Amino acid sequence: MLPTPYTKFDYDKVYEPSEDSFLLLDCLESELKFLDEKLKGKLSVVCEIGPGSGIVTTFMIQNSIPSLNSSIYLAVDINPWALESTIDTAARNNCKGRYLDTIQCNLTDSLKANEVDLLVFNPPYVPAEEVPQIPESKGEIDNWLDLALLGGKDGMVITNKVLENLDSILSSNGVAYILFCARNKPEVITAEMKKTGNWKIELVETRKAGWEVLSVYRFERQH
Amino acid sequence: MKFLTTNFLKCPVKTCDTSNDNFPLQYNGEKCQLIQDESIEFNPEFLLNILDRIDWAAIIIVARDLGNKSLPPTKPSFSPELSDDDLIVLRDLHTLLLQTSIVDGEMKCKNCGHIYFIKNSIPNLLLPPHLA
Ligand SMILES: C[S@@+](CC[C@H](N)C(=O)[O-])C[C@H]1O[C@@H](n2cnc3c(N)ncnc32)[C@H](O)[C@@H]1O
Repeated sequence: MLPTPYTKFDYDKVYEPSEDSFLLLDCLESELKFLDEKLKGKLSVVCEIGPGSGIVTTFMIQNSIPSLNSSIYLAVDINPWALESTIDTAARNNCKGRYLDTIQCNLTDSLKANEVDLLVFNPPYVPAEEVPQIPESKGEIDNWLDLALLGGKDGMVITNKVLENLDSILSSNGVAYILFCARNKPEVITAEMKKTGNWKIELVETRKAGWEVLSVYRFERQH
Repeated sequence: MKFLTTNFLKCPVKTCDTSNDNFPLQYNGEKCQLIQDESIEFNPEFLLNILDRIDWAAIIIVARDLGNKSLPPTKPSFSPELSDDDLIVLRDLHTLLLQTSIVDGEMKCKNCGHIYFIKNSIPNLLLPPHLA
């Protein structure tokens, strides 16, 4: 088993690593060989949307996912505290000599189209009346945390935006890992996407976490 | 934010996507404070992979914004056996692309004119609600 990064931050402000975070780590670990084969020999632009504490991005850096010495890591979050925490977590785990930049932004809106080779997203997936407003100041701590969890209708409002834009986010050979809970109805969503004939989608990991069932799907272009 | 990251950042305003002016952003050389951070080690292979991928024209423009006018107009290319001269060129590119960071500063979209700020090395491209 690959080592799990050591994290320590103020979890009143950023999402504390939980079952979903760990499922994503296990998923990436089980995909080591697949990713190395798919992406080796070229530069990989790795983007994590919503790094929170930074545990997932740090895990990828630490364990050379997708492959050694050929990746640059960009972590984008709306929560300014998450970006500080991500830098802090990477530094605590001896990742200072690796290429990591953090960007405050909504999803991948500020990334040039078709540049991401590996996209990872553990979204706010909890069904809620609506997605909370973005706080006006860094100091409104509770509101930042709500944004880590609440995903509006079916918990899918934020994830849907990423899925709708996937074609313009990923590079031609790009691959995405996205986490869902059962209430997101991932089997319905992925079946719809498959029908277009554009996407190859596979369930990589699934696990019961308390009363939630979480799963991670892999998305690639159908060539 | 490292210099190379400028090669991946565009203006997040949706309506700018249809213009050709939303990338690269225009960095304000007077306001941008640069530092050299040596923590990433020189690795020629990594650099060749990066060169293969990047938009060289955009690198030149941003370098010029930040006061570096010394880059060649076409992307340097190398034969498989790297010569000593090649290594010198790669080392210079390493210094520019991976070791130069913008710690504080601002940049603007050439299409909509919106200004974005960099503080503590973190660029903020979150739009105010009326633009989002
Ligand atoms: C469930 S947490 C996941 C945190 C971390 N990746 C993990 O696995 O522990 C969701 C993260 O997404 C971020 N987020 C929510 N909406 C976002 C948006 N529109 N753009 C970017 N990040 C967003 C939140 O701030 C939070 O850090």
